[in-house]
Amino acid sequence: MTIVAYLSLGFLALAGSLGVLRIVRHATLGDRAVAFDMLTSILTCGLLVSSGIAIDGLNLDLAVLLGLLGFVASVTIARFIESRNEAES
Amino acid sequence: MSDTLQLIRDVVSAVLMLTGSLLALVSSIGLFRFSSTRARMHATTKPATLGVLLCAIGAAMQFGDVSSVAKLAVIVVLQLVAAPIGAHMLGRAVGGK
Repeated sequence: MTIVAYLSLGFLALAGSLGVLRIVRHATLGDRAVAFDMLTSILTCGLLVSSGIAIDGLNLDLAVLLGLLGFVASVTIARFIESRNEAES
Repeated sequence: MSDTLQLIRDVVSAVLMLTGSLLALVSSIGLFRFSSTRARMHATTKPATLGVLLCAIGAAMQFGDVSSVAKLAVIVVLQLVAAPIGAHMLGRAVGGK
């Protein structure tokens, strides 16, 4: 199970680093919102995997919170982009 | 007998967790390889639902108590409802770009 933990969390860490790189380097606001959405789901996956391997249910509340927060964030950014598009046109 | 069952449970949950993590990795590669924002959303919305679902099922096989599994079910339902709605709103906002 330790090897599975290392492999799985390693994949997730690599995916998260790529997502952060995408947010930082030459991207539009929509791209950043998409990458941020993916980062929250990667973090949720990481919390689920780590708590499943440690058999410790303490971090599951954080995963619930993260799901809600990611949804609110992406909806907010989407509404902001929409209102900005309307103001420009 | 109990050892065999434990081993089967561990293997199945390990495969599920690894598949979910690999899906996340593939989608983050897709974030760089696809050409437009909508194409990139196509890549990133898969681990938001399927990846979290696989990781949650894999973790639920390790837990023995009902309260943790119930929390995992809440997480999955929340993600299954919220992720498509958020992706839909983002896709509508970015338009054809």
